[in-house]
Amino acid sequence: MKKLCITILVVALTAAAVAAPVSKGSQIAAGLKGPEIKWSIPEVGKDVQREVLDNGIIVYSMPDHRLPLFSVSAMIHCGDAYVPLEKMAIPGLAATVMRSGGSTTMPVDSLNAILESIGGMIEIRPGYDNARASLDVMAKDIDLGLRLMADLLRNPAFPDDKLDLAKEQIRTDIRRRNDNPGGITGREFNHLLYGDHPSGRVIEWSFVKPITRIDLAAYYDAFFAPNNLMLGITGDFDPAQLKTLLNKYFGDWKKKEIVLPEIPKVDNTPRPGVYEVFKDINQANIRFGHLGIDRDNPDRYAVGVMNYILGGGSFTSRITSKVRSDEGLAYHAGSSYFTDGRDLGTFNADCQTKSSTAYKAVRLMVDEVNRIRTEPVSDEELNDAKDSYINRYIFNFATPAQIVGQLMSLEFDNRPPDLLHQYLDNIRKITKEDILRVAKTYLKPENLSFVIVGNPAGFEKPMDEFGKVTTIQLTEPVTE
Amino acid sequence: MRRLICLLAVGLLITAQAALAAGEIQLDVKEKTLSNGMRILVVENHIAPVMSTYIRFKVGAVDEHNGITGISHFLEHMLFKGTRIFGTSNYEAEVPLMKKIDSLGVLLEAEKAKLRSPLRGGSEERAKALREEIAAVQAEQAKYIIKDELWETYLKNGGNGLNASTGNDGTQYFLSLPSNRLELWAFMESDRMANLVFREFYSERDVIREERRLTTENQPMRTLSEALNATACWASPYHWSVVGWASDIENYRLADMQEYFHTYYHPSNAIAVVVGDVKPEEVFAVCEKYFGAIPARPTPRQVFTEDAPQKGERRVEVEYDAKPSALIGWHMPGIGHPDVAALDVLSDILSKGRTSRLYKNIMEKKLGRVSAGISMSRYPELFTCNITPMGQHSVDEVMEATLAEIDRLKTEPVQAWEIDKVRTQADADFVRSLSSNIGLAFQLGNMEAMAGNWHYLIDYRDEYKKVTPEDILRVANQYFTKSNRTIATLVSADGAKPAGGPGRPGGPGDRPGK
Repeated sequence: MKKLCITILVVALTAAAVAAPVSKGSQIAAGLKGPEIKWSIPEVGKDVQREVLDNGIIVYSMPDHRLPLFSVSAMIHCGDAYVPLEKMAIPGLAATVMRSGGSTTMPVDSLNAILESIGGMIEIRPGYDNARASLDVMAKDIDLGLRLMADLLRNPAFPDDKLDLAKEQIRTDIRRRNDNPGGITGREFNHLLYGDHPSGRVIEWSFVKPITRIDLAAYYDAFFAPNNLMLGITGDFDPAQLKTLLNKYFGDWKKKEIVLPEIPKVDNTPRPGVYEVFKDINQANIRFGHLGIDRDNPDRYAVGVMNYILGGGSFTSRITSKVRSDEGLAYHAGSSYFTDGRDLGTFNADCQTKSSTAYKAVRLMVDEVNRIRTEPVSDEELNDAKDSYINRYIFNFATPAQIVGQLMSLEFDNRPPDLLHQYLDNIRKITKEDILRVAKTYLKPENLSFVIVGNPAGFEKPMDEFGKVTTIQLTEPVTE
Repeated sequence: MRRLICLLAVGLLITAQAALAAGEIQLDVKEKTLSNGMRILVVENHIAPVMSTYIRFKVGAVDEHNGITGISHFLEHMLFKGTRIFGTSNYEAEVPLMKKIDSLGVLLEAEKAKLRSPLRGGSEERAKALREEIAAVQAEQAKYIIKDELWETYLKNGGNGLNASTGNDGTQYFLSLPSNRLELWAFMESDRMANLVFREFYSERDVIREERRLTTENQPMRTLSEALNATACWASPYHWSVVGWASDIENYRLADMQEYFHTYYHPSNAIAVVVGDVKPEEVFAVCEKYFGAIPARPTPRQVFTEDAPQKGERRVEVEYDAKPSALIGWHMPGIGHPDVAALDVLSDILSKGRTSRLYKNIMEKKLGRVSAGISMSRYPELFTCNITPMGQHSVDEVMEATLAEIDRLKTEPVQAWEIDKVRTQADADFVRSLSSNIGLAFQLGNMEAMAGNWHYLIDYRDEYKKVTPEDILRVANQYFTKSNRTIATLVSADGAKPAGGPGRPGGPGDRPGK
C-alpha cells in the first residue's frame, strides 16, 4: 500500500471546508476551540509491543500503570461462520461450556471459588468468525489469573451436566424469542436477507438437541491451538515478568495444523417485498433494507458518510429529523449501513411507530432513500458529517485496551496494516459527487425488503405500495 | 498528577485473600462551589487528549405528581431543542409565533379536557381546527428553526457518547469530547441552563408517547415492572415509571414544563463533573465564567409522599402475549439508611457471580434465571427479585425455590467465605470503575447528588465491608416478610391471531418469499 511507513500522523481537529454558521450560538461556538490537539495513530513497536511465542501465539501488549489492574483479551479464529447449518449450535455451546464446565485439571466449582475470592473474572464469548476469552484480575493476581485462563483454554472438560444446562438455556431463549417485537424484527429481517447463510440462520431446538460433548471436543480440536490464537494484554504489569509467565503457562502448548473451512458466500439475490409479522401490539416495528457491501469495497468510507447524512448521524440525519423531530412519529428512526463485514453487510432503516402511522413513517423513510439518490447533499451536511468522523476518531484510541484491540484486530482480520493511518484521508477526500454516486450505486429502492411486526389491521393504509405483501405467522417454536 | 488514583499502604495488599480496602484508594477529586451554588468536580486523567463531562440536575420522576408524571424525562428531551441563540436564525421573530402557539395550545388543552367527558360539551371540530391553526403557526416558526443544532455542534466537534438520561432521582447530560473543547462545552451547557426555548413542544410530546410504547408497553418485563411499582408503592412517587402515564404524556401543558424548568434547572440545583485531560484550575475558571454568570435560585422544596408500612401481601397479574415471568418486591429503605449496605451484601450473596446462591441452586438446577437487587434510591423503594422460569417449570415452582432461598437467610447465618468474596468483588469492581472517564464522572456526580458528597462512594464501600452475618440475619427477618412483599406475575394471553400465511418456524431453510 501507499504510505506504509508513516510513523507520526498529526491529526488536526478540523476538516477542510467549514460552512458559515447561521445562529449566533454556533458563531460563538466556532470561536471556542482550544489549542490544537496533537496525537498520532498508535504504532506496533512503539506504543504497543507485538511478540510471537515459539508455538505461534501472537501477543500484543501495552502497560498501563494508572490502576492496579490486569486484563487479557484472547481471540481465536473459529465461530458460526465456519460450521454448516446443522452444526450451528456448536460454536455457542462450546464457548459457553468451555467456561461453565471448567478444565480437566480443575473442577469448575473450584475455579469459580478461586476467581471470585480474588475479585477476578474469566469469560468466553462466541462470535461470528471468532471466539473471545477475557481475563480481568487485580495486578497482584497476574500469575494466578494467567494460569487459570491458560488451563481453561488448553484443557476444557466439557462435562455433560454443564452441556445439558447450556442447552436448556438456549431452549429457554428459543421458547421466549417471540416475546419482544424488536427481537422478532431483527431475526426475521436477517433471515430474509441471508437465509441459512451463517449471517442469517435462526437457531432451532432440532439443531441443539442432538449435540453431545463429542461434538464440542471435535470443534475444540479443530480450532483451538496456539497458532490460531492472539492475546491482547493491558494493565499494571512488568513486561519481563509477563513474558516469563506467558511462556510458563502457554509455552508448552503444542502447535498443530489448523485449516479454517471456507466460509460460504452470501447469496446476493434480492428479496423485495413486504413481510408482515402479526403480533397484537399497538406499535409497528419496522425495518427495511437490502444486502450491501463488504469491507474491501473502496467506497465503504463514502457509503458510511452517505448513511450518516441519510439516517446514521442520529438527530441531525435526514430520516431521524423527518420522522422523529418534524413529525413526532417515532422515538427511534434511523438507518445503518454495515461495511465492516468480510462478506456483504446490510443497509437497513428502521423505526417504531403507532399502528395508525405505520404507512406514513415508511413512506417518509423511503422518500429520503430516494432523495439522497437523486439530489446532491449540501456542503454543510457533508462537512458536518466529515468533521464528526474526523474529530471523533481519537475515541477509538482513548484507552490502552482500545489501542491494543484496534491493532490486534487489524492483524486478526488480515486487514491492510496502514488501514488506520489511511482512515482520515479516506474521509477527508470524500466529495458531494462521491456521496451522490455511492447513494445511486449502493442504495437500491427496487430491492428493498420490508419486515413489519405489528397488527396490520391498525395500519392506516395497506403496505402493498412498497411491494407484494406476504404474511409471516409466528408459531410456537418446537422445543421438545 | 498523572496517576488517576494513589495507592497508599500498598504493603497491606500482599495476600490473595486480603481485600483491597476502600480506604487505601484515594481518589484525587478537586472540588469547587461556584458563588451561585453550583458544584464542580474534576479528576485528572492524562492518558489521552480527551475528557468526559457530566451535568446532573437534582430532579427526577420522584419530584412529579399526578398530571405531570414523566415530565422530568420530557424536559430532558426539550433541553436539545435550542436556546435564544442556538437552533434559530432569528429568535426575535420566533417570539410572537411561540406566544401564539402557546395561547392556542391552552385553548386546545381546554377543549381536550372537555372532550374527556361526554357531559361537558367538547367539540372534535373545534379541537381539529385548533390543531390545524397550531400547525400553521408552527410551519411559520419552522422557517427560523435550525434543527438540532446543539447536537450537531457537539457532533462536529468530536462529541462522543452524547446523550442524556432521566431516572427516578435525577437527570443527567453527558458526553466525551476532545479535551480542547472544554470552553465550548461550558458555553453550550450554561447557555441551555439559562436560555432554553421550548421549540417543537407538541411534536416532541408525540415522540415521548412513542418512546413509552417502545420501551414500556411493548416490552413485557417493563410492563410487569411498572405494574409491580404501581402495586407496591401506593402513595410514594415510585408508583409511576420514569416515562410517565400515557394520558399524562398526551396532555402535558407547556406552562407546567416552563414552571418545572424554572424550579429545578439552575446552578444551585446542578453538579458538573469533568474527568480527563484537563487542569482543575482551568475547569474551575471556565465554569466560573459561564455557569457562574447564571443567577442562583431558591433550592427547590423536596416533597415526598411516603408509603405507609405495607400490611399484607399484594399480588398483581398482567396478561401479555409473552411467556410467563414474575417479579417480587419488598419495601426497603433509601440511601443513607444503615440497612442498605446489609441488603446490598445480601443481594450479592444471592445473585452475583457463579458461586452465588441463586445461580447454584436455581439456575444450575435448570429451574430458572433469578436475580436479586437493591434499589439505592433517594427515598425508600424496593428490593426486587426477577424470575424467568426455564424449561417447562412454572412461575410458581421457581418462585417457591426463590422464596426458600430468601427464607434460609432468616435462619442460617451466611458463611464467612461468602462475605469475604463479595467484599473482594466490591473492591475490584470499584477499582475497575475508575478506569473509565465517563464511568467515573457518572459515579461521582450521582453520589454528589444523592448523598450530598461524592465521598460517600468511599464511605459506602466501608459500610458495605462492615456488614456481618448477624446484620444479614437481622435485615432478612425484618424486610423479607410476607406482609411486606408484592408479587407481580406475567401470564400468557392468547392474542388474536389472523388466519393464513406461512409460519415460523417451518423448519430449517424456510424463508418466506423465496
